[in-house]
Amino acid sequence: MTPVAGAYALNLALGFSLLSILSVFWFHFSKDARLYLVAQRLFLGTCLLVVFATLILTSELLNSNFDIDYVAHYTSLETPAIYKLTALWAGQEGSLLFWLFILSLYCGIVVIQNQNRHYKLMPWVLVILSVVQGFFLILTNFVANPFFPTEADFQVMNGNGLNPLLQNATMAIHPPTLYLGYIGFTIPFAFAIASMMAGESGSVWIRVVRRWTLVSWMFLSAGIILGGWWAYQELGWGGYWAWDPVENASFMPWLTGTAFIHSVLIQEKRNMLKAWNMVLIILTFSLVIFGTFLTRSGVMSSVHSFTESSLGPLFLGFVLFILAGSFALFAKRFSELKSDKKIESITSRESGFVFNNVLFVVLCFAVFWGTIFPVLSEAVKGTKITVGPPFFNQIVTPLGLGLLLLTGVGPLLAWRKTSRDSFLRNFSIPIVAGLLSAIVLILLGYRGSTAITGSLSLFVFTAIFLEFKRGSSIRMQKLGESLFAALNKMIARNRSRYGGYIAHVGIVIMFIGFAGKAFDQEAEWGLRVGENQHLAGYQFNLEKLSEAERPNHYAWIANIRVMNSDGEMLTILKPEKRVYFHNNPNPDRRQPHSELDIHSTIQRDIYSVFAAIDTESGTAFMKIMINPLVRLVWIGGIILVLGTAISLWPGKEAF
Amino acid sequence: MAGIRGILMPQNKKIILTVSGIVLVALFWIFRVSSETNPQESHMITFLSLEEIEAAGDRRIRLGGIVKPGSIVIQKTNLLDCRFTLSQGSHTVPVHYTHARPDLFTDDAEVIVTGQYVSGIFEADELQTKCASRYEGDLRDESSYQLDALNL
Repeated sequence: MTPVAGAYALNLALGFSLLSILSVFWFHFSKDARLYLVAQRLFLGTCLLVVFATLILTSELLNSNFDIDYVAHYTSLETPAIYKLTALWAGQEGSLLFWLFILSLYCGIVVIQNQNRHYKLMPWVLVILSVVQGFFLILTNFVANPFFPTEADFQVMNGNGLNPLLQNATMAIHPPTLYLGYIGFTIPFAFAIASMMAGESGSVWIRVVRRWTLVSWMFLSAGIILGGWWAYQELGWGGYWAWDPVENASFMPWLTGTAFIHSVLIQEKRNMLKAWNMVLIILTFSLVIFGTFLTRSGVMSSVHSFTESSLGPLFLGFVLFILAGSFALFAKRFSELKSDKKIESITSRESGFVFNNVLFVVLCFAVFWGTIFPVLSEAVKGTKITVGPPFFNQIVTPLGLGLLLLTGVGPLLAWRKTSRDSFLRNFSIPIVAGLLSAIVLILLGYRGSTAITGSLSLFVFTAIFLEFKRGSSIRMQKLGESLFAALNKMIARNRSRYGGYIAHVGIVIMFIGFAGKAFDQEAEWGLRVGENQHLAGYQFNLEKLSEAERPNHYAWIANIRVMNSDGEMLTILKPEKRVYFHNNPNPDRRQPHSELDIHSTIQRDIYSVFAAIDTESGTAFMKIMINPLVRLVWIGGIILVLGTAISLWPGKEAF
Repeated sequence: MAGIRGILMPQNKKIILTVSGIVLVALFWIFRVSSETNPQESHMITFLSLEEIEAAGDRRIRLGGIVKPGSIVIQKTNLLDCRFTLSQGSHTVPVHYTHARPDLFTDDAEVIVTGQYVSGIFEADELQTKCASRYEGDLRDESSYQLDALNL
């Protein structure tokens, strides 16, 4: 009975969504304000019905109701409760409902926030959000219904269980975080389109969506970083980014979204780039849906993608519909979006932002090109080609370094024009710091992108440090505040600006972490208890091999003593070789899984994978990697998210 | 005013020219890397069918297929040394791989291997598995669902 209620809730939600759109159009022609209220309530009703359906599916997953096909596919009686919960987004049908659930939460907040505001924009915002909701409701009702009953000619007593790779704490939070970011861009997109539909193409929508955009961007950034963290912790290949099509699917909207959060500042301050901002948000949302297409269609071979399904053409059709509709409207309103102001100098902050935007968009195009190139190549030449990390690294590295340079240059430039004096005053110390670090790095034997990254990083750090120093020194001198109080009040007074600088510090730290990748080392050996091997000056000694039986798996545990070149013990690594469903009488049904162990410091990670075990001879086969500076990627990521949170935190902007 | 405009306009042109220059250089670079035909320089790997494998020469190529059931042979003294048969319809090719294998590598697994075809054997240096069908495909057979068989 309960699953039927879930299915009915989705049916009703689709009906409510369509009625909400009709009510807005009726309101538009009749001008009867009651119809707008009806539309609002129907819209909120849609949101509540989706939340209700999601709660029902969650309850069925937790209660192991294997009469529902989705529950039988993605959980089993042995699955721990937390992973029964995360199974909600483990499969196609559940993740589409989860997408709809987050969208509905966001939509509910938007409507409640703006119940008595923005009367010209809000009816059209409701229409756009209802169209997006309606699309996902059509999918969950007719194509991938999560409440579909189990079709088996026997009674299903236990389910398939969740893939062990997904039974990981990071995996419990990575998809929701990514979804919060991904789906969040629907809100600024809806306001942008609504502003064009309502003929209000000024900057009102920009002010309304500023915080929404930053929240979405922050979650998307955190989601991408958590995805890298999960891959690094769980997949055992020692990396965090593989330029996989599905990774690229989340990175592309991040790139255009990053360009957007920078260029809106110019519209806010100078009322320029109105048309460009519209293009950026349309692209960002289209890339969100395109990314979902990549993940769902099976058109790209990826470790992340779901199995091939009929969803692909529907998503592609929806992307084309969004692009065609949005750009048709854009063409119609283009004359209203043109700005009469021009950039006055190439050495102005405005031009810095323009260059930043150009690099982000070109970078996005490069990633897009590399992602779809295999499909294009096969369609045009008939040759199946795969594009791997070397292709992306060769293209992305110079563009990334250009962006790193602008991270330091941008904040030092003045609005309208940077005078010669100001240029010398602001740039001389960071340039000297950058050049000195370049010389030191070259003398130490570093070359190419590593030396450039190091030099640019110090340039940016110095530039940001000087910005903080200037601001706090003035307060300390004029108001007699302590350094801590001055910094605290300075940030509180202009959270947007200083939060942005903190986010930039995070980005620079991440870049240094990326540079470490060039120095990775790895080796694979078989070790018996007591035997030693060496890599990068470290000694690895297999001290002990033990076994343990746990509720949902059996594990062999290797204790590897790691010593440095001075013979001092650094750590004992304990990677495990596990077998899930180990009690299953059919050996083919047992699932091996390598649970790795990492000793992490700022300088380097020592990464261990238990690859195989020969129980007869007691030999453990290990893969060991030495990965320099990886920790900086995570630290930089945390600072990036923290800086963004400071930027969007509500507070007194004026002192 | 006109005089000021006269001075300022070139600034705008400078920006347009610089932006166009950056875009053109970047596009040129992207297309150059994409269209590199020299196998030593190219960062793209050709995906061949097993039928076409003889034409690969000494190029690094990628193959996809199913691990033929019962074909996996792991060396007794070195468990990282593995041989198996990759099948694609009626075509097959022997594969040799000597690194840590993905956990989902098993009989009937859908795999992608990258390497070189040397003297009738595909020497793979990369082995990727697609997500096991049990987590995406049909429900398991009836015996797998009996509680007593699971010994809980």
